[in-house]
Amino acid sequence: MPPASSPKGTRAHSFFKRLVQQRTLAWMCIPFVIWAFIFKYLPLWGWTMAFQNFKPARSFSDQQWVGWQHYSTLFEDNTFYRVLRNTLVMSSIKLVLGFVTAITLALLLNELKNVIFKRFVQTVSYLPHFISWVVASSIVLTVLSPDGIINLLLMKLHLIDSPVLWMGKGEYFWGILGATEVWKDVGWNTIIYLAAITAIDPAQYEAAEIDGASRFKRMLYITLPGLKPVIVILLIMNMGSILESGFEPQYLLGNGMNMDYSENLDIFVLKYGLGMGNFSLGTAAGIFKTVVSFIFLFSANYIAKKMGESRLF
Amino acid sequence: MLKPKFRTAGLAVVLTALLAGCSQNSSSSAPSATGDDENSPVTFSYYMFSPGKKDVLASETTIGKALQEQTGVDWKMEYLVGDSATKAGVMIASGDYPDVISSSGEMSKLLDAGAYIPLDDLIEEYGPNIKRVYGPYFDKMKNAEDGKIYALPYTANQGEYSGSPNVGGGAFWIQRSVLKEFDYPKITTLDEYFDLIQDYKEKHPTVDGADTIGFVSLAGVANNFFTLQNPAMHLAGYPNDGSVMVDMTTHEAKVVAGTDAQKKWIQKLNEINAQGMLDPESFTMNKDQYLAKLTSGRVLGYFNYGWQIGDASKNLLSAGIDEKRYAPLPIVFDEGIKDQYVDPPGFVNNYATGISVNAKDPVRIIKYFDNLLKEENQVLVQWGIKDETYSVDEKGRFYYANEDQRKAHDDLELSRKFGFTYFGTDWPKYGGESTLTDGNAYSPGNQPEVAAASYTEGDKKFLEAYGIQTFSELFNKPEERPWFPAWSIALEQGSPEQIFTTKSDDLQRKYLPEMILGAPSNFDKLWDAYMAELNKLDKAGYEATITNVVKDRVAGKW
Repeated sequence: MPPASSPKGTRAHSFFKRLVQQRTLAWMCIPFVIWAFIFKYLPLWGWTMAFQNFKPARSFSDQQWVGWQHYSTLFEDNTFYRVLRNTLVMSSIKLVLGFVTAITLALLLNELKNVIFKRFVQTVSYLPHFISWVVASSIVLTVLSPDGIINLLLMKLHLIDSPVLWMGKGEYFWGILGATEVWKDVGWNTIIYLAAITAIDPAQYEAAEIDGASRFKRMLYITLPGLKPVIVILLIMNMGSILESGFEPQYLLGNGMNMDYSENLDIFVLKYGLGMGNFSLGTAAGIFKTVVSFIFLFSANYIAKKMGESRLF
Repeated sequence: MLKPKFRTAGLAVVLTALLAGCSQNSSSSAPSATGDDENSPVTFSYYMFSPGKKDVLASETTIGKALQEQTGVDWKMEYLVGDSATKAGVMIASGDYPDVISSSGEMSKLLDAGAYIPLDDLIEEYGPNIKRVYGPYFDKMKNAEDGKIYALPYTANQGEYSGSPNVGGGAFWIQRSVLKEFDYPKITTLDEYFDLIQDYKEKHPTVDGADTIGFVSLAGVANNFFTLQNPAMHLAGYPNDGSVMVDMTTHEAKVVAGTDAQKKWIQKLNEINAQGMLDPESFTMNKDQYLAKLTSGRVLGYFNYGWQIGDASKNLLSAGIDEKRYAPLPIVFDEGIKDQYVDPPGFVNNYATGISVNAKDPVRIIKYFDNLLKEENQVLVQWGIKDETYSVDEKGRFYYANEDQRKAHDDLELSRKFGFTYFGTDWPKYGGESTLTDGNAYSPGNQPEVAAASYTEGDKKFLEAYGIQTFSELFNKPEERPWFPAWSIALEQGSPEQIFTTKSDDLQRKYLPEMILGAPSNFDKLWDAYMAELNKLDKAGYEATITNVVKDRVAGKW
């Protein structure tokens, strides 16, 4: 009988053996590990701020420690729950709409045989991605203004009698934001799926065609399952940023009248944290966000594992 | 089966990583060598927390060039883009300060962070002119905590008070064609104002094919929401003290939000909205859209401060159609109220410029400031160069001898090129209502000769119709308010007072538009809901704090 430690020993041994074998690769990794450490781990030191009454430009030892005080401020504030709700809703909308539209567009584009038309559609759909949010929001505001094109169109079609103040109704905000996000990013999000589709073995399509599968059937039984690993991975990664509903569109499109629906965590942090020089509160909210994201990310990964799907780690 | 899965998954990860983009970090400030030579060339950075100007090198302007020749100092001037509170937060968090910072509304934050160096010793040693100009105000400039001076404000008036012949402050503006249509009636109350607009709108329902807009406000832009809040106190006969009205005798400060004045004002807007005279976009559009509307000629009336709409009114002026321009009116609630739109002479100590802790050479900078405050240089930054951008008559009075001289000041591009745009404010300077030692007004805009000569035919007709010489004669003279302005009272960062300000502003941003755009029958219900929310906030605490500071200021303690 070999000693109990021997499998471990051999495993460690084989690890080093492989490390030596792949040393070039290992060397190439080092700069990125250093990068990640400096930019992703060192800033975590700033988290200490959340437990202090942080005053900028003073040394660490001069800071006053206050424990969980900022968290109690946060959780006792009614506004906080409102912005939390908005954040969750808006990012869910963004997530679901983003996935559905991008995958649908990718599937449809893949079926196009006319290359010129396909390129045209692709270009048109991903161009808005390169417009900054400031410009994009101006476009949205103009289009939706009382004498904007949308109102004009609806009036001409006799669907409405008087112009609708789209940006002035809080209930519309989530819809407008969702539509704007789709318009801006659908083409861009499609690229990754189109790339993944090219990796699907064409023989499968040929076989299916011979078996008499219609186009729709081929989409359903070959393309979609082929895309599944990418979809699941992207879903998991996006779950990690469930509380990142974006900042710019909400900030630029938001106004007093839709504030109850447009304000999200980031804007809250800006107003009550950065805006008042209360960096500690901002950090506290930031940590809260990270913790929630962490939970979501791990749960999604766990579920994927249970379902026997590809997963992140 | 495993392999392709891995490949696609790997591909996904790599691509996402690529698409995620990369953060960037740029900082560029190499210390320039300073030799022993007093005037060796050097470039400092100057950040202004005031928006709306193009970044520029001082030496690219005529004024900056002239000052560079005197001192060897050049400036990289950078202006705010976007939200000033955010920018200040980021600047403080990174500790990446430029050499000199003009604070605008961010002074308390910057002071709190220790961004400025104390100037007392520097002024003592290198600042004879600074002492001359700011000496009488030193008490008001001292930091409350340590009694040191950290920054030089822009409102240190010199000599006799010279008021502006034109209205640059707040007013209810009205398109001149409206007044002309009804033969220049004299209107003073809010009801008269809106009645007149309504009559005109009925006669002229469209302008160039588009619907005429009765009244518009700039309440959609978060940091310009005061455009909707402030008229309440002006209508009640108070000057712009910020969010409070201060009683003249008891010096009690009362928050405007939730007062009868506010209710009256908002209810009136609700009323005119029901009549279709208010542009509902007032609450959603951004500033660009607003200014575009003002220049379109469709708007009949609006409330605003002259400095909020500078570019729009300059554009209207250069378009040359007098009737489409606007005239300021001192509108109040009732006949008996005395209007107080014109600011009383006050001292604002927290809009100021100071030297940052990162400054490479504070001595050179303070010397530059001191040189800038010499009277001849103060003339240079306001009037320019003699016989080039202004002339002097035989009595020693400054005036514009021809159209070119005027244009150098008024034309946006030319005044940028010469540098008036850049040096006119945000630098250590005489207050805008100053008089020079030779009796001329410090600001060309305040020189009666200049104002009189600048009036267009339409202006003259307007003034004649009302039997006055200048536009400001329409307004009452300001009464003395030794605490003025209360909006310059610095609230401590993150204090209950500051949280009250933010929360009550949020509340108003939400409720006021709702009340205005809602059905008139619903108004009282909404008002009660608004008051209930407002009363939950610590209004009393806020008012007590402001009242205390006002009383301190009246007693001479700034």
